[in-house]
Amino acid sequence: MRFFQPLSQIGLSRLLGETRTHHPITPGLISIERTTEKEGYSGFFDLPFPPSFQKKREDTEVLIWNLLNEKIDKSLAKGFFLSEQPFYPSYVPDSLSLDDFSKYIDKFQSLEEAHTQIFTLPLSYVDSPLLDKIIETDCSLYILTGIIALFNNQRKLTETFVKLRERLPPDVAIYLPGPISPAYYSFLVYSGIDLFDNSIAYYTSKNGYFLTSDGAFSVENHPPCYCKYCISSEPDLFKHNEMILKNAIGRIQYAIKSGTLRSLVEQDIHGSVAFAASLRIYDNNYSTNIRSRTPVISSAPLKCIGEESFSHPSVIEFRERVKERYTPDPLTKIILLLPCSARKPYSFSRSHMLFRKAIKDGDKKLLNHISELIITSPLSIVPRELENIFPARFYDIPVTGQWSSHEIDETRLILLEILKRYPKETIILNHTHGDGYSQITKSIEETTDFEIINTSSSSHPTSKNSLSNLSSTLREISLKETNTNEKPLAPQTKQIRATADFQYGPGIGKLLFPNTIKFKGKYPRDRQIFSEKQQIATLHKSTGFLSIFPQHAQKIIHHSYNNLKFMDDYVKGSNIYAPGCSEADNRIHPNDEIFVIANNKIIASATAFVSGLDMNKMTSGKLAEIKKKVRN
Amino acid sequence: MKINKDFAEIITQIRYDNLESRSHSREVVHWEEDHRLRSGTAKAIVFILPTKGCSWALSNSGGCSICGYLYDNPQHPDFEKIVKSVRGALKGKIQKDEKYSIKLFTSGSFLDKKEVPTEFQIAILKEIAIYNQVEEIVIESRPEYISSNNIDILSKVININKLEIAIGLESSNNEILRNSINKGFYWEDFEKAVKTSINAGARVKAYLLFKPPFVSEYDSTEDVLRSILKIVEIGVDTVSINSISIHRGTYLSDLFEKNHYRPPWLWSLFHLCKEIKTQFPKLRVICDIVAGGTKRGAHNCGSCDKNLLYIIKEFTLTQDVNILNQEIQCSCQKEWKSYLIHEKLSITDL
Repeated sequence: MRFFQPLSQIGLSRLLGETRTHHPITPGLISIERTTEKEGYSGFFDLPFPPSFQKKREDTEVLIWNLLNEKIDKSLAKGFFLSEQPFYPSYVPDSLSLDDFSKYIDKFQSLEEAHTQIFTLPLSYVDSPLLDKIIETDCSLYILTGIIALFNNQRKLTETFVKLRERLPPDVAIYLPGPISPAYYSFLVYSGIDLFDNSIAYYTSKNGYFLTSDGAFSVENHPPCYCKYCISSEPDLFKHNEMILKNAIGRIQYAIKSGTLRSLVEQDIHGSVAFAASLRIYDNNYSTNIRSRTPVISSAPLKCIGEESFSHPSVIEFRERVKERYTPDPLTKIILLLPCSARKPYSFSRSHMLFRKAIKDGDKKLLNHISELIITSPLSIVPRELENIFPARFYDIPVTGQWSSHEIDETRLILLEILKRYPKETIILNHTHGDGYSQITKSIEETTDFEIINTSSSSHPTSKNSLSNLSSTLREISLKETNTNEKPLAPQTKQIRATADFQYGPGIGKLLFPNTIKFKGKYPRDRQIFSEKQQIATLHKSTGFLSIFPQHAQKIIHHSYNNLKFMDDYVKGSNIYAPGCSEADNRIHPNDEIFVIANNKIIASATAFVSGLDMNKMTSGKLAEIKKKVRN
Repeated sequence: MKINKDFAEIITQIRYDNLESRSHSREVVHWEEDHRLRSGTAKAIVFILPTKGCSWALSNSGGCSICGYLYDNPQHPDFEKIVKSVRGALKGKIQKDEKYSIKLFTSGSFLDKKEVPTEFQIAILKEIAIYNQVEEIVIESRPEYISSNNIDILSKVININKLEIAIGLESSNNEILRNSINKGFYWEDFEKAVKTSINAGARVKAYLLFKPPFVSEYDSTEDVLRSILKIVEIGVDTVSINSISIHRGTYLSDLFEKNHYRPPWLWSLFHLCKEIKTQFPKLRVICDIVAGGTKRGAHNCGSCDKNLLYIIKEFTLTQDVNILNQEIQCSCQKEWKSYLIHEKLSITDL
């Protein structure tokens, strides 16, 4: 059993806790010497120092975790040992010979209580097949050495981090020792590093450097600080620097908990050209590796400020899912292209209320025949049905009205893809205004056969002129409309179906939610969905996503992307543990609502802790928390 | 094989590249210094004999990764001149009412016949045997040249009880000997040589190397302590802790120049002396720090170096552990600790 348990996951980073008590430990800071002030530290090294005849390192734990006193007995271990280390230290690049490394591996394998042993992984052996021998053990902490040499080689750096995360199980912590600027912490945590140490506090304090969250300054000339160590009559540089490190880690812990790590990283990398480049390489080359480990279900605010935000994993995931999974109602007659609004969800904004009013003024009967698509950056296309889910309801961008060619291109491609799913005779009403929008619609006009009517070409969409234009155009269309017998889906049903498709896989919505479903509970309450007088699902107001009751989900078992195969046909307790899971769908994202399946039957619904990819790599610990069990 | 082939190859290449530029000093260098005999403080006269150099360093295994003494040795030694110089120096230096230790260092092995032919070994020792004030004659040798036969030859010229054979063991850990020093022999060879010497009546001094390459300072401290336990057990009564100084033209020097190696801290040596002497009060602990306080030798932060070097020297001369028990404070002590733990955890270039 490994010492750590992932409590949540965002991309390559995780929040790890002690496996029995779930006391959070990473991302964390380790003190390299014994310290009485536990606050802010995940643990401390307690190496016998200096080495003497009496004290032997072999018999005592050298890395002690700061666990809760009252729960310390319940924990799997109090601390870790450093029994074996490779003969060559990492400061000699590439000098650890294969011979010495395999000797080290062999010795390490023979150690008892592997979960309390610290493994040193030299950078040059990240690829080695020998590493599998260690991965098979319960070893829970790897010291990664030599990586600092790669800080100037972004391609190699990102490749290494991704490779590591792909190889190592999610419940193994990686410790990057050494003096590392707190300004880099967020990027490194985002890359999958779990633990740092306070050694930079010693170096900077000794050499007269004053740390701030932005980096180091000379002690003679630095931005002011009013912490208690600085305003004291005897300023304590070490304590101040130490506090900066603790705060830097605390800020990241908070960001992971609240789901905003990526935004934090985007903000921080602007201080470092090297890491800014690294982030772009992640986005360009390793987007799928990161995306598949990023939660889809979230309610964290998403600030899209820099260029990087256009390739934010959640943003790309949204675009991809809309492209792959969104199916409009086949009875759609009109597509209405609308601009986005600052207020989210869009429907609550003044502009969208005006649009709605204009549509009703035009022809009320057409309302359900209209499929509204909101064009926006960086999400590209948000169908009205999906405006309530993450990230559509939670993103924010600085609005200038100017579009980059990259944004235009991406949006155009997605729009083209979605348009393929509408009947050919559908009319497109373009109620947008501005250069960026018109470039997109022009290109649609050129490459498809759809009829496009511009209703806001001469003035702003919310202007009286444009709105009345929209109303009158709708009226005209309505006059031409002959076949009014078909009854299109109600907006609520459309929303539920689209959300289900987005969340569980294409086609799920139609299978699960017939035209006859009923709703109870109005916004802002969670909406309950009833079919044949039985509640089959809940739509959560906080996230905009669905929870499906497992007893009603049997018909989607072969269509759902979120399935976890369980060994037994009954789940005891309220958690799914790794040994009980025979296979998890690789398309499961952390936080996803998943179905627990035994013998081709759904036996429960649960909330995933980590991605499906990573569930399959875990040998111990919780994978998911049961939400509801099917009663027999 | 007692060598790591890949490692030896690299060292041999470095040796080869640097040998051409070696200087050809054929003068016998000698000086007088304070010394600690088993019986008390005394004077020592140190001779550096310009032989052709250490056979191991000249061999095609390249010699030790840390040693560059070879570059000071001439290619064609003149032994007649050496004997003459020794004779002259002894005459000039030795005082009537003083006790002396004579150290004959060749930067190689005195007992190696190919380095110092037997006739000259005898000739040199004969010059020393004249003086009764000499209580101790120190020669250095690798263990492979220490045989009862070789010692017997010397015992015909001098009182063998006065002879102290210094052997550069460096570490009792064969892995370190093989992979970080390229020493060419193992602990077992040393053990045998010690037995031979002691049986013949000579004494043995063991050199232990502090902080060879690839071994963190923390681990090296542990290694020295472990080695002490082992050498004491086999009857060695003098140990010399040799702190590394970085010789040019060596593998270690290359590491140092690439910023992959920091010479040890004086704090560590201070601690080692104290720890060893406290545990083994009868053991003679010598710690002569070559290039102490400089970048290429053991050093601290710069402000406390002089003081610590002085204290360690005083201790070596007096063998009084109380000298080490005084409280010495410097702000770099904390840095020393963090450095060691940090390096121990296999940190990248510092």
